[in-house]
Amino acid sequence: MRKALAFAYDAAGYLAAFFVFGIFVLMIAQTVMREINLPTGGTDDLVAWFCAAAFFLALAHTFRHGDFVRVTLLIERLGPDPRRIFEATSLAIGTVFTGYLAWWAVRYVYESWKYKEVSTGVIIVPIWIPQLSFSVGAVLLFIAVIEQLVIVIRGDRPLYVTAAEERHARGDYSEDI
Amino acid sequence: MGLIEIAGLLLFFMLLLLAGGVWIAMTLAIVGFAGLALFTGTPPGKNLFTAFWSSGASWTLAALPMFIWMGEILFRTRLSREMFDGLAPWLDRIPGRLMHVNILGCGIFGSVSGSSAATCATISQVALPELMKRGYDEKVALGSLATAGTLGILIPPSITMVVYAVAADASIIRVFLAGFIPGLILMVLFSGYIVAWALANPEKTPPAGPPMSFMAKVRASGNLIPVTLLIVLMVWVLVKGIASATECAAYGVLGSLAIAWWSGSLTWRNFIDSLMSATRVSCMIMFILAGAAYLSLAMGFTGIPRALAEWVGSFGLSPIALIAALAVFYIVLGMALDGISMIVLTAAIVLPMIQKAGFDLVWFGIFIVLLVEIAEVTPPVGFNLFVLQNMTGKDSNEIARAALPFFGMLVVTIAIITVFPQVVTWLPDVVMGAEKK
Repeated sequence: MRKALAFAYDAAGYLAAFFVFGIFVLMIAQTVMREINLPTGGTDDLVAWFCAAAFFLALAHTFRHGDFVRVTLLIERLGPDPRRIFEATSLAIGTVFTGYLAWWAVRYVYESWKYKEVSTGVIIVPIWIPQLSFSVGAVLLFIAVIEQLVIVIRGDRPLYVTAAEERHARGDYSEDI
Repeated sequence: MGLIEIAGLLLFFMLLLLAGGVWIAMTLAIVGFAGLALFTGTPPGKNLFTAFWSSGASWTLAALPMFIWMGEILFRTRLSREMFDGLAPWLDRIPGRLMHVNILGCGIFGSVSGSSAATCATISQVALPELMKRGYDEKVALGSLATAGTLGILIPPSITMVVYAVAADASIIRVFLAGFIPGLILMVLFSGYIVAWALANPEKTPPAGPPMSFMAKVRASGNLIPVTLLIVLMVWVLVKGIASATECAAYGVLGSLAIAWWSGSLTWRNFIDSLMSATRVSCMIMFILAGAAYLSLAMGFTGIPRALAEWVGSFGLSPIALIAALAVFYIVLGMALDGISMIVLTAAIVLPMIQKAGFDLVWFGIFIVLLVEIAEVTPPVGFNLFVLQNMTGKDSNEIARAALPFFGMLVVTIAIITVFPQVVTWLPDVVMGAEKK
């Protein structure tokens, strides 16, 4: 079960990276096409949807990697036991929020599909197709947060803490702005 | 309950969540939800979807992963080594000698990188061991690297500026252009301090290296060709109108990939690592932006920003007093928060206030970027301090003390742009024409 989940998060993460690469290719292609007077209508829409897909699909992967910023000033000064209570509380709040987000991400896109809503830009497609990245990404994030909550309740340290520690111990600060 | 009291209540709730360690992006959205659900009749769920979807599916925001990826690629090349070798021969005769490589190196790297921590890490990984080997003063070396690294977000391109422009709905290119001159002023001030320090403490600067002939210096400068070409490429596609400010980021990636390929560091592994890293960092920032977008939307429905702006207006603060108060507020905020969160957290409230007081949004962008730079070197949370702490094993508070004189130069720059706002607005006005009001 754990393995299957880890595979799902990472697969979505790699797919997100593929969309980042896609933005790069589209932007270069658009400028070249403009120079040789080819029509570029719709590229802007595609870039925007790729950007959304890159964002939403990477959520769970990024969360587990410990890249989401939080204020650790207080909790890093706590002993292991109070710290666990704070982690569990944060994760419980996170579970409620991401659950709510996932619920709306699925419900809204389902309605887009049911009422056959189409996009408003140059490219006309059913809007649920690009929006699907939101539903998938939000549901994966929800599951990832629950998984860490279970880990903390069982008494282990959450993955996002150990992953960030390992990265900083290697001297890798490239993921902090 | 009046709007001001509601605002205070929501603020207290937000600080509680933040201090407890709830992720910043989620905190923003949760507070937004509370504002909508408790104090307005607007359905919170549908608005949550719309705010998140429209923040994510944004053509402007697509520049963000590109600028981040570019930095990630360059971080994995030999660029900083080459820059050190190319710059050092020219600076060896100035008081302070190679210490100036820190400033100039960060300034030049800042014009291809949009991140402060990445600039600091990239330049320090070469400059710091070289300076220590030659016996330079460690305190000044650390202080100058920590602070000059922040030039990465003041000299365009800048990830922080992209975030600000999106949050403030200002033109990215104008904010980019506005950063140039303050960036140069800051570099002059940094180098000026090093010169003054070196003249006051002559015994602390090691002797110059063996003299080099002029031609040898020029040959050594050949090392600067890759980074120069990259800057030229990005400016050229912009000026020729081939690419917009957003698309110019993709050319930055193209140029960086070319540099990596030319220097042989473009392995498959480096390529995937840099791409994945960029994807995660972008995701983190976009999550904060989406949460902030939802919070702004919610605030708009409650009417709090307008009420607060009027409330602050009722004190009759002069514009200078308002700016001074905001500067202190952001310096305090910057102790605990990172720059991106600082900007998006306050945008919904502070921007209406600023516009009401008659300040230009582009000018305020540079003002806030300078304060974010200060935040990067103020403990306990300052990313440039963390970078150097990790590299040297020194305590971050010690590094922060070493950075104090340079911190002063940042404050001086803020004073300069406040007294002479033209240094910020002149360049964008000349290049783009005066802004339509």
